[in-house]
Amino acid sequence: MDIIDRLRRRALPLVALAAGLLALPAHAVPSYARQTGMECSGCHIGAYGPQLTPAGVRFKLGGYTDSDGKDGKIPLSGMLLADASHTRKPQDPAPDHLKSDNNVSFDQASLFVAGRASDNVGGFMQITYDGVARNLALDNTDLRVVASTAIAGHDTLLGLTFNNNPTVQDPFNTLSAWGYPFVAPAAGLGTGGASALIDGGLGGIVAGVSAYTVVDKDWYAELGSYRSMAPQLQSRLGLGRDQQKLDGNAYWRLAWMKDQKKQAWHVGVFGWSARLEPDRTAPGPVDSYRDIGVDAGYQFLGTREHVVTVFGSVTGENLHSGSDGSRSHLLEQRLNASYHWQQTWGASSGLFSTRGSDPAAATRGLLLQADWTPWGKEDSAAPAPLQWLNLKLGAQVWRYGTFAGTHVGASDHDTFSIFAWSTF
Amino acid sequence: MARPTPVIRAALRALACALAGCAASGAAHAAGDAAAGGKVFATECAECHSVKEGKDKKGPSLHGVFGAKAAQREGFVYSEAMRSAGLTWTPANLAAYVSAPAKLVPGGKMKYDGLADAAQRDDLLAYLAATAAR
Repeated sequence: MDIIDRLRRRALPLVALAAGLLALPAHAVPSYARQTGMECSGCHIGAYGPQLTPAGVRFKLGGYTDSDGKDGKIPLSGMLLADASHTRKPQDPAPDHLKSDNNVSFDQASLFVAGRASDNVGGFMQITYDGVARNLALDNTDLRVVASTAIAGHDTLLGLTFNNNPTVQDPFNTLSAWGYPFVAPAAGLGTGGASALIDGGLGGIVAGVSAYTVVDKDWYAELGSYRSMAPQLQSRLGLGRDQQKLDGNAYWRLAWMKDQKKQAWHVGVFGWSARLEPDRTAPGPVDSYRDIGVDAGYQFLGTREHVVTVFGSVTGENLHSGSDGSRSHLLEQRLNASYHWQQTWGASSGLFSTRGSDPAAATRGLLLQADWTPWGKEDSAAPAPLQWLNLKLGAQVWRYGTFAGTHVGASDHDTFSIFAWSTF
Repeated sequence: MARPTPVIRAALRALACALAGCAASGAAHAAGDAAAGGKVFATECAECHSVKEGKDKKGPSLHGVFGAKAAQREGFVYSEAMRSAGLTWTPANLAAYVSAPAKLVPGGKMKYDGLADAAQRDDLLAYLAATAAR
């Protein structure tokens, strides 16, 4: 397989993003706040999703079923996102559906069906209209069945998650579906064109189930597998017609977490081993992916006046091409930190690095973000009757030291953006 | 002079309380530091509880909780275990509940392991007493 071909295949996830096949993930979902009686700040750092506090982690692992005990809550939420961006030099070619520079775009509108069906069943389903690609599609979905019990004297939560995007079920904000940055400009270049399969490579176009357990609130283990959606089904769901087909695969996760109220920790390992047919219309040798990573996170929560988080992950991928027997590898490193004051004013930064056996896969950079979230707290909800409305306004600066394997001209891709993001 | 240990402070407060006849009032924890208790509340409790009158979250408002009978807030959905516990929130019961909720009310729905630090519990109760007086 030549470099161009390999890069093209690795770039598929971003192409899919641009085409609206997998819009931005679900974030703060106010229907959960209505369900639980808690403010957004109870479950989310900075009073806005998707970064979870320990309470948010418990809510998710508990199958989104926790509530204040009152019936009659409507499990619907909405989300709107728009941004404006400027790149140091105009992009050539221009991004699909956008200008080469100075774009103002309505990025997406999402409807969430999100809530509990019973004490043991809950979840969310996101349907997204991509305002750039002008496409309506099924977005992230995570449906759960849970049960609590005691095994050998240990409090044990047992659960099943049915989802359509590997890592969307993960309770920590280190893996791809919920990792930093939580929002990015539609015309931006993100963390580069190369990414591991587990990093959104098949997000949205697969369906899978994982069994998981949480033991004594500290240990989390998960094992699951995925199947590719048939192209006809993808098409009906607004997802295009991807012809890749998963064969045998195993997704797994093990983590230790500790909620000490003033601070919280987690450290874990994860992986996805998958055999993938490049083109189901032309059966032939399959490619074998072995993705494995480590991650860790720390949150200083204190009285919630000053909140600091530090998260990081390293993901390695080994790819064995079935067609020519070649082997290649990729290494993704992410490190980010944030500070929030009064759960309202936020500043965050992230270092990202991707490199591999393919020199053209290398991208390194830095992201800086400042944001303001006026509502979503007990003392600062939006005015009635819009008290469930939440809003985040922010600005980002993306700086690239290496892009697509070269330092030369990397800074041409530097991007400044502002965004407005609302949930209700 | 060294600060009394939490045990000695509690004993002194219990003695003072017995002399003053204040068993069911927040005054029993006036010796706690309400300001420090506010921080304990923010760290340990505020995700699920408010001290504002009538402001229920996942847990009920704790405004005026001292001396109140358990499971009596109108409109809040309590667990059967809490409804049948027959508790009155005396300082002693509150301290015991905050210390180990599942021990005092087995089968209750509060998902909180408990606050082990006795001094922090005293501060927290002082804060709750102070908010009721506002």
